[in-house]
Amino acid sequence: MRRSRALIALMLLVYTFILSPFVVIFIVSFGPNLVFPPTSLTLNWYVRAVSMRMFREAFVTSLEIGLLAIMIALFFGVPAAYALIRFPFRGRETVEFAFTAPIVVPALVIGFALLRYYIQLGRLPVFPGLLIAHTVILVPYAVRVTAASLRNFDFLTEEAAISLGAPPWKAFFRIVLPNVRTGVLAAFILGFTLSFNMVPISLFLTGPGYTTLPIQMLSYMEYYFNPLVAALSVLMILFTVIITQVAESALGLSRHI
Amino acid sequence: MRNRAAVFALTGPGLVFLGFSLLAPIALLVASSFRSGDAWTVAPYVSTLSKSVFRIAALRTLRVGLIVTAATAFLSYPTAYYVSKLPARRRAVLMSLALFPLMTTAVVRTFGWFVILSRQGILNRVLEAIGWVDRPVQFLYTEGAIVLGLTHLFFPLMLLSLISAMENIPPDVEEAARSLGARPLRAFARVVFPLSADGLVVGGTLVFTGCITAYTTPAILGGTRVLTLATLLQQRAMTLLDWETATVVAVVLLALATVVNLALRRLRVRGVS
Repeated sequence: MRRSRALIALMLLVYTFILSPFVVIFIVSFGPNLVFPPTSLTLNWYVRAVSMRMFREAFVTSLEIGLLAIMIALFFGVPAAYALIRFPFRGRETVEFAFTAPIVVPALVIGFALLRYYIQLGRLPVFPGLLIAHTVILVPYAVRVTAASLRNFDFLTEEAAISLGAPPWKAFFRIVLPNVRTGVLAAFILGFTLSFNMVPISLFLTGPGYTTLPIQMLSYMEYYFNPLVAALSVLMILFTVIITQVAESALGLSRHI
Repeated sequence: MRNRAAVFALTGPGLVFLGFSLLAPIALLVASSFRSGDAWTVAPYVSTLSKSVFRIAALRTLRVGLIVTAATAFLSYPTAYYVSKLPARRRAVLMSLALFPLMTTAVVRTFGWFVILSRQGILNRVLEAIGWVDRPVQFLYTEGAIVLGLTHLFFPLMLLSLISAMENIPPDVEEAARSLGARPLRAFARVVFPLSADGLVVGGTLVFTGCITAYTTPAILGGTRVLTLATLLQQRAMTLLDWETATVVAVVLLALATVVNLALRRLRVRGVS
């Protein structure tokens, strides 16, 4: 194939555009201030980022919320995906729509509504409010990824187990679930990563002691103009990339997403 | 029938959860946007619409959404075309480079642009060095900065939609057009473009709804003065405690996102995702 030079030049521009913010963040995170290129190199901002209590606490909150939210979302989502794939029932499309509806509703609006009616009026504490919000957002992903994996499963194996006398729930846990394990794990990793990196859903749902890491970075940026956020960004990117890469090489998850 | 009971038991808990934590609060939100005191009224909408800050933010939000959707499409088409024709190995590398930003938070990606665009940032230094400007230009806190940041943020979504649409086009079709005498650009315009239009619709909807509801990028690059509906909502609620206007803005955002998504369902010919 003959490739035109114009196309290749355009590709270079596009990829420069895509990658330049990351290159800049990486470089200034080692500089004394946000001036580019840095006049000297230091690891000072990394030391401060890791040792500051507000960021450590926010990191822990993000971990807790992300892990709990995806576990609850899978608890609701895996059985629903199974029902949607396994049984042709009346109203199937409506149920499917209901389980994907959270994708359509803007996350900011979900967070705002939960703040107004459950936290302010209903006196729900902040942490469960934040957890509910993240779970709602993750349910569609839990359903979709699990459903995609169930579509490749041959349900005759399950029927065989049932006709040999296994109760349906036992057939599900012993036959179906082990076979779609990778799909469920893929949903777990995807969901956790989404929750860990997401801003708008948490914006209205943070309180003293309960702030997620991206929100804490955002509010720090309002007051300070220094490379600390760049250092934190590099650490966050590393964290996400390591999780997804380990999952990918161990399980080949990308086939399921 | 046994299936009915099974379906009920399997989907019931999830539906109850979504009813409690999505449907109920959203219904309350919409209902209370039509309440003032004890009466049903459209007064909150009238008073919100009469505020110029709302009208400016709403128009800006739609404008930015359209420009960014067009910009990502413009950048993604050649990229998707180029990448989808590469041999598998190089294709995988370029794909993961383009999609890697999706795994990072909007805060990180927008902060990079913040550093580039600031008064002492790289862009100003380069412009000064080559003598195009003699004092730093104010790039931050402008609509242009928001457009740039959002284009960067949503480019991978558009690219992904277009690439999956182009993968479904058999290569022979374009070859056929070329061997019958069509020039490369014409073959692209008459064959590849129409066959990938579905990807454009899907990607365009994702990008447009993403833009109008995005918070982080307009908050960092637009600041407290150049507001979009999302940052206006945050400001009204958390800074000014003006819950009436905030509620109306939230309902407007919800309505916009819903309308665009429903339109997509009608426009879509076949599934891509």
